[in-house]
Amino acid sequence: MEPLLEVKNVTKIFDLRGKIKITAADAVSFRLYPHETLGIVGESGSGKTTVAKVITGLVPVSSGAIFLDGKEITRLKGRERRGVYGEMQMVFQSPAASFDPRRTLGDGIGESLRNRGMSRRESKKIAAALLRQCGLPGEYVSRYPHEVSGGQCQRAAIARALAIRPKLLICDEATSALDVTVQKQILELLRDLKGRYGMAYLFICHDLALVQSFCDRVLVMDGGRIVEEGPPDEVISNPQGKAARRLVEAASYFMN
Amino acid sequence: MRERKPQAEKYLQSKRSNHMKARLILFSVLVTGLLLTAVFAHWLCPYDPNQQNLDMALQAPSLDHLLGTDRFGRDMLSRVIMGSRTSILSALVLVGIISVAGSMAGVVCGCCGKAADTVIMGIADICLAFPGLVLALAVAAVLGGGVHNAVLALAAVSWPKYARLARSQTLAVKHSDYMAAAQLAGDTRRQLIFRHILPNIAGQILVTAMLDVGTMMMEIAALSFLGLGAKAPTAEWGSMMSEGRSMLQTYPWVVLTPGIGIFLAVALFNLLGDAVRDYLDPKTIQREQEETVE
Repeated sequence: MEPLLEVKNVTKIFDLRGKIKITAADAVSFRLYPHETLGIVGESGSGKTTVAKVITGLVPVSSGAIFLDGKEITRLKGRERRGVYGEMQMVFQSPAASFDPRRTLGDGIGESLRNRGMSRRESKKIAAALLRQCGLPGEYVSRYPHEVSGGQCQRAAIARALAIRPKLLICDEATSALDVTVQKQILELLRDLKGRYGMAYLFICHDLALVQSFCDRVLVMDGGRIVEEGPPDEVISNPQGKAARRLVEAASYFMN
Repeated sequence: MRERKPQAEKYLQSKRSNHMKARLILFSVLVTGLLLTAVFAHWLCPYDPNQQNLDMALQAPSLDHLLGTDRFGRDMLSRVIMGSRTSILSALVLVGIISVAGSMAGVVCGCCGKAADTVIMGIADICLAFPGLVLALAVAAVLGGGVHNAVLALAAVSWPKYARLARSQTLAVKHSDYMAAAQLAGDTRRQLIFRHILPNIAGQILVTAMLDVGTMMMEIAALSFLGLGAKAPTAEWGSMMSEGRSMLQTYPWVVLTPGIGIFLAVALFNLLGDAVRDYLDPKTIQREQEETVE
């Protein structure tokens, strides 16, 4: 099977004022197949978010290549880059900060549709339908981000990501800022949407238990490198490297 | 923060916003009055502000001439009213120019790459390195007198403030998640600027501009006082004070009336600027609430 997303030897070095160099992602390679849910776990600072940002092109790569559907997207700019965003969307960690405080949720959800030539009225209608699909009342289109709770806002963010029917949805710690019950609801929503639209998920997370219940396959990152890969049950029951063992130990500490 | 009943919070919030609204409305009305005076000055003047009558020179305030007359026998009230037009309108034009041009420069710096940023901020730093009024003096001296040139001179030295403000605000907005989300929604650079950056930085710039109107009015008056602004016989508060400065002890109304004009106008614009800032700033809401509760 052809991979939907292929990341080949991607390295990202942040250059801080030309003196200190930080290698946030070091020769990262992996494949993500259609309809698959791939988890990336790791401690804070292990490079998970950098990988997400590099894939979406929000941060340029230092070296390496990224392919989406067999087409290289590593250094696309302008119109071509915007074309890629029709296939790939992202849900951010902090829901409220991912919406423009001066615009309504409906504006944010419909933005991608309007950019593709849809009228304001029609995009608002679709935004309302998307909100309902994500478990919010349609009237929330005219609410502002500060007028809804974190969980509601994250539902709206998912609705926004769904608006242009992407093939790949990147969730960058999409549930970390939410409390446990809301986390569960959001995961159920994501699972439900996956069944409906057959998207692939790149699910970035630091919670092993969550990854175990949600992902088909998991990558463990440490210091910018991928140190382990496999089905979540295997990685958790039989961690090979130090990083995975640390994560499992930390998770089991809270279990007992 | 300690817990509060939602009702109590609502009550505090409405009390706060009523108080702020009242202040905002009061100063808006007063400033609007001032602006209307400036715009319709020629209809409000009881006498022709430039009409000389040497027989009536330096009359003390009386029923005929409520604020007295100057040494050419011109009615001071008419001149102060007429002067409001020159002083206030030129300050408004000046602030309009520098806030728009400066913010544009700042947004370009924040959005359009390192080269533009380095060049524009370099120019801004050079402008800031000069003491403002002294550079304005030099520019006005090169360009010649007149209110237009005074406005240009002050614009040349005061735009960097807005460029810096707009730049830092733009950078803050640019790195937020919602800008990333907008990029993912397929916004072009222009759409990012007009849909997301400008609306989010406009409030700050507006408030700074409101607070600057008073300052700029003083600077224009100062240039005029030094003879580099309005030229005789144009009525302008700064030049009127300058003309009368030798008569402060003998015929004080000649100096004091335009001085009071400056004082009132500057104070009103500053108070309105404060009111607008408090009204727009969500942080003051929180602080005032906490103060009231504790």
